[in-house]
Parts: sequence; C-alpha cells; structure tokens
Amino acid sequence: MRWLVACLLILISTAASAETFRFTAIPDEDQSRLEERFDKVAHYLEDRLGVDVEYVPVKSYSAAVSAFRNDQVQLAWFGGLTGVQARRLVPDSRAIAQGKEDAEFRTYFIANHDSDVDTQGDDLPKNVQGKAFTFGAKTSTSGRLMPEYYIRDQFGAPPKSLFSRVGFSGDHTRTIALVESGTYDIGAVNFKVWDAAVADGRVDTDKVDVIWKTPTYPDYQWTVRGDVDSRYGNGFTDKVRQALLDMHDPKLLESFPREGFIPADNDDYQPIEDVGEKLGLLR
Amino acid sequence: MREERAPGLLAGDSLNLRLARRSLGLIALCLVLLPFADLAITTHDPWAELGRMLSGLLHPDLLATESLPHAIALTIGFALWGTLLGMLLGFPLALLFPRSRLLRGGCAFVRAIHELFWALLLLQVFGLSAVTAIAALTIPYAGIFAKVYAEILELTPRAPVDALPEGVGRLSRFVYAELPMVWSRLSSYTRYRFECAMRSSVLLGFVGLPTLGFHLESAFREGRYPEAGALLWLFYLMIASLHLWGHRRLLPWIALGSLFLLGPWPDIDGALLWRFVSVDLWPQPLLEGNWSGLWQWFSEIPDLLPAIGNTLLLGLMGTAGSLVVALLLWPLASRHFGNRPTRMAGKGVLILMRSTPELMLAFIFLLMLGPSMLPAWLALSLHNGALIAFLVARHADAIVPGSHALPASGRYAYELLPRLYGGLLALLFYRAETIIRETALLGMLGIATLGFHIDSSFAYMMFDQAFVLLLITAALNIGVDALARRYRPREIADTPGQHDRPAGEAPC
Repeated sequence: MRWLVACLLILISTAASAETFRFTAIPDEDQSRLEERFDKVAHYLEDRLGVDVEYVPVKSYSAAVSAFRNDQVQLAWFGGLTGVQARRLVPDSRAIAQGKEDAEFRTYFIANHDSDVDTQGDDLPKNVQGKAFTFGAKTSTSGRLMPEYYIRDQFGAPPKSLFSRVGFSGDHTRTIALVESGTYDIGAVNFKVWDAAVADGRVDTDKVDVIWKTPTYPDYQWTVRGDVDSRYGNGFTDKVRQALLDMHDPKLLESFPREGFIPADNDDYQPIEDVGEKLGLLR
Repeated sequence: MREERAPGLLAGDSLNLRLARRSLGLIALCLVLLPFADLAITTHDPWAELGRMLSGLLHPDLLATESLPHAIALTIGFALWGTLLGMLLGFPLALLFPRSRLLRGGCAFVRAIHELFWALLLLQVFGLSAVTAIAALTIPYAGIFAKVYAEILELTPRAPVDALPEGVGRLSRFVYAELPMVWSRLSSYTRYRFECAMRSSVLLGFVGLPTLGFHLESAFREGRYPEAGALLWLFYLMIASLHLWGHRRLLPWIALGSLFLLGPWPDIDGALLWRFVSVDLWPQPLLEGNWSGLWQWFSEIPDLLPAIGNTLLLGLMGTAGSLVVALLLWPLASRHFGNRPTRMAGKGVLILMRSTPELMLAFIFLLMLGPSMLPAWLALSLHNGALIAFLVARHADAIVPGSHALPASGRYAYELLPRLYGGLLALLFYRAETIIRETALLGMLGIATLGFHIDSSFAYMMFDQAFVLLLITAALNIGVDALARRYRPREIADTPGQHDRPAGEAPC
C-alpha cells in the first residue's frame, strides 16, 4: 500500500511539469502510424515556437473536440463542422489557417455501376431516389453535412425519405469499399480521398465511379484556443499561424495531406455554421 | 374421482416441459415479430473485400502498428485497474446489497449502461486519459461486483458460524468463519471478470482511448487488413494465454508497473466539470423550469419510439438466435462427441467467435448481406451463442453418460440435453440483458437502435439528449433484466458443476 502511494505521488509530480503546447490532427485518410508522422510536425513547431510541442493522437473528430474543450490540446486540425463545434464550446478560440485545398473543397457522389444511376450531369441524377445510400462519419463535413445539404437542396426532401436506406459508414475509405461491393448503391465521399484512392489503384472504377461533384465549400482548418497568448506569451497565436503558413516541407505536408496552408478566420466558416444549424446538427 | 387426462405434447408440469414451453414461447414471439424487422439481403459483390480481409488475417503484419507494446500494456493496465477498483468498491457495497433497495437500484443502473457509453460520458470531462478508461470500467464493474458478490455471500454455509462460541464480534465472524468459505468462489469470479475487462478494455479503443482497439478499429475501418489481422490474432493470443501471465502473484507487479504507463494524468478543470454535470447534461427547458418547452424538447428527439422498438426487437431476436446457435454448437467442444482433433477445432472456433468484437462480425456480415438488421442479428447470435455453447460444453463434460450404446444423436437428445437444458436456459436469460446492451453498440453500424442515437448525440455534442437516451436505455435494460429473472429457470436439473459457478458468470 505504501508502495502504491509512493508510485502515485511520483506520477502526480511528473504530470505537473512545465507547460507543453499540445496539438492534434487526423488526416482525412490513412490514419496509420499517426505518431511517427506527426512527431515530425511537432519538431517543426517546436523549432519555430520555442516551446515544447507534443502531438496527441486521436481517432475521431468528436474525440478531438473533447480534447480541445478539455484543454488537453491547444491547437487542432479540425474538419469544417467539427471546427465550428469546437469554437462554440471554447469561447474565443479562432480558426487561423486552412489547407490550400480547403478553401474550395468538394464532395463526390459515387455509385456502383450495377445500380444503373446516370453518370455525371450538372445535378445529382434524379434516379438516385429509392437507392441505398451511405454517408461517411456522422459529423464529417464532406461525408455528411454538405452532401445532406445538397440532397435536400435538390430534392426538397430529407435523405431518409428519398433513399431506401441511409447508412453511416464512419469513414471515407469505408464508403468507397461499401459502394464498390454493392452494399450501398450510392455514397458521398471526400474528393481528396477518392482522388488518392483512384491514383493508387485501390479502387476498381469499373465497379464504382463518380456520378456528381458538389459545388465548393470551406473545410478543414487549424483552430487554436483563445487563451494561448496569455499562457505561452504575447503574440503566440500569430507565431503559430506564421509557422503553419511557412510549412513547405512536403514530408510534413503529406501527413495531412495538403499542398500547403493559407490564412483563414472564423468568418470563413459561417456557411458551414449556417448549414449545420439548418440541418439540426448544431444548436 | 378426478378424470385423468393424457398430457398433450407440451402439457404437464415437469421441469423440462416448462423449460421447453418457455423456449418455444421465446422463439414463437421472435417469429411473430420478425416481419417488423428489416431483413433484406441486398449485396451483390462482397467477395473482393472479403478476400482482402481473409488474406489480411492469413498474412498478418505485426510491425505495421506503431507503439504496439505501449498499447498492449495500456490494454492490460486499464483492465487490471478497472477490475481492481471495481472490486474494491463493489465488495463493501455487496455487504449492504441485500439490505438496501436504493443501493440495488443504483447498482442496476450503473450496470445497465455499457462501458463504451460510460467512456463517452467521462471523455467529456476527463478527456482521453487513463482516468476516463479506468472509471469507465470501474463504475459498471462496481455494480456488477456488488450484485454477484452479494449472491455468492448469500450462499455461505452456516455451519462454521454456528460452531463459533458466543460473543465473537461481527467482524471476526465474517473474517474467520464466513469469508474463507466463499473465498475461492469470489476469487474465481473476479478472475473471470478480469477476462471480461480485457475485452472491454480493447473496446474502449474504439472510442479513442489508446488501447489495442484504437489501432484495431482504425486499421479495420480503413481496410488495412494485414495490420487488423495481426492485432486480432494478438488479442486472441492475449485472451488465450491469460492463465499463463494472469497469475495471482504476477498481477500485483503488472498493476504497479502499468501505473507508470498510464499517465499523463489530466488536470481536471473544476469549472468545466461542474458545467458538464449541472448544465450540459440537462435539457435547457428543464433548467429554466419551462415545462411546455420540455415537452417540445422531448418531441424533437428523432425517432424515439422506433429506436426503442428496434432495440427491443433486436434484443429479442439476438436472444432467440443465441439459443439456437448454442444448441447447435455446444457439442463441438464437448468430450462426448467427436475425437480430440475435432474438439480442439470446435473449441477454437467457439473461442474465435466469442472473442471477436461483435462490431467486426457485424461488419463482415454487412458486406456479405447488405445493410439491414440481419448482420447485427447474426453477429449477436453467433457471439453470444458461442459463448453460451462454450460454458454448456464445460457443464456437459462433467456428466458421466449412463449408456454408451446410444448413437451420438441419441446421446445428445435423450441423455445430455435434458440434463443441461436448465443451465443453458439460465445462462441465456442472464445473457439477455447483455444482448440488449450490445444492440446499443451495433447501433454504431447504422441500425437505428437507441445506441445509434446515443452515438449521434455525442457526436453532435448534444449531451442532454445523449443523457436522456442513456437513461431510457438503462430503464429498458433494467426492465428486460427483471423479466429475464422472472422467467429464468431457478430449479435446475442435476447439472454437476453448476454450483461451483457463481450466478453472474454469463454477463460479460
């Protein structure tokens, strides 16, 4: 028992060391070896910011939001909708940068060939009605929020009454696998994940292909807590933003994966917030 | 003189006839309600993906996962500390258990909420930390330990207490005359629960705590099957070798050693914690005392009644399915049938089926059969049926057959099953509550059970909605448990070995 107390004391004392700046990020695909990949980013930020930087691996955006809210991480790479969620929960937190691709993000609707859905036109084909359809994760901007918005926009009806079945695959890669296997006829998927899967030959385009591309919308962004200036020194937020904008090493950028980062602010995500409220995913 | 009537096929009052009526009633109820379940088969081409899965399982890549030893250590550490603290909390509660209705209700409530949902709740205040993981196991386990320990203590033989001289204090009586009599049962149950905790600990990874399940779920979800295969094999191996490393003398050292890996401990933000407990969990209209607003709030919860219906229906179907699977599979692992190699293979199959997380079984069936209730039904039936079959086979092995002349089918039907059936049904009815809890998990696959909506509410950060749905789920579980207890066979036919197993063995 005495041993136990001693061990506990040691643990508690080591936990309360100097303040480390922590961040988290989840790539939109390939979540293997997260620590190995993002530790490089942590080293880069450490050099630029002059404080200890640590990467915290998370598995889902809702876990990332919880970690951000609990101050377990001070900086996070969020999806469009989850970023809005996080900034609503943590007052004064700010979006500071987005990926070059994220200013004009898209969702692809993909369909299994056997489902006989017309191929690409200007709109989502009319005969998707009555098919089985899957979203990605429930709070994914490209896999859920925006596709649902465009479905309602075009058909004036919620997905549930439009399709015979509505699923949530939980992941873009899995959406592709489920539509390729014909489990679902149609799916909504992040365009970058689709392009990468096609480029790598991981998807059989004889079985599944794109039927419609949505208009563009803003997506992933870096969000930082509002209290970092007072904790890590004046102007810390700007230093973090500059460090992100100056990140040009492809080895670091391929972890996200993005071509580079550009400035962003909270207002850029107003459209996402409006859609989220309209669909009842935010309140 | 009363007229003697020949009994009908299922009439009569013998124990096994009553059991047969109950089982057939269960299956009939399931069949009657089956048309309400969505059981369509819609897939056309699952074979490429299934082939990739199989090849991953056959060519596992153990090096693909980073910080694997750390994940293994955390899996064991969480399980060990969760069990240990659950035991420390549960034991004193067990002493008060028979005396306090409030306590029994409280324990039933904490048991009724799945570990994963406890984790999702605790995650909001303790973040991704060991506190979340360990508390998510400790809280429901304390409730389980309280109940099962109380049941075991109830069975303490009276003789040693009666033999004590007058004036022996209550504590001495307990420590010297009661505890030693039940010690082996208490410790064997605790050990069994630790095995359950290992499984739960892996599952905690599915919501993001850094156990084996973290990597297993990511790899499986993203189709990195060689990595997923390796992790799955590793998990089977850990469970199968538990008796080697889970030695009584070794465990305290593992527990102490794992302490150093569990950090960093979170700084708990008191204001946030208070806000979560006092504001976030409660509907806004309730806090404002606005009753009509509360009604409005309630009606905005999407599809509440269908969700309850789906949960109950899937639970019923899972229970009936488990019964059928258990009846079919138990001979696979029993010494009364087949030869040594077939039994080894049979046992292997049963262990694989009961150890594979249901979520993965369900996903495999989802690929093969398409989205409907069918994959979840099969997954629940196979997983729970295999678990019951395994225990029934163990009971069967303790029976010495009277007649060796019977063919296998005759031995099964006339010799063994009549003596095992009461035990089998008792296990099944214990299991019913767990099956209902597990339907909640499969909700994460997109079947619109209560669990599906709880998962959504957490994802949308609507904690008040999640909390109310959790309360409804808990009430449902408590109701099902009460019903199952009512119909559970109490008078069990002569099944040797029944009594060295404490009551709560099934709900893992």
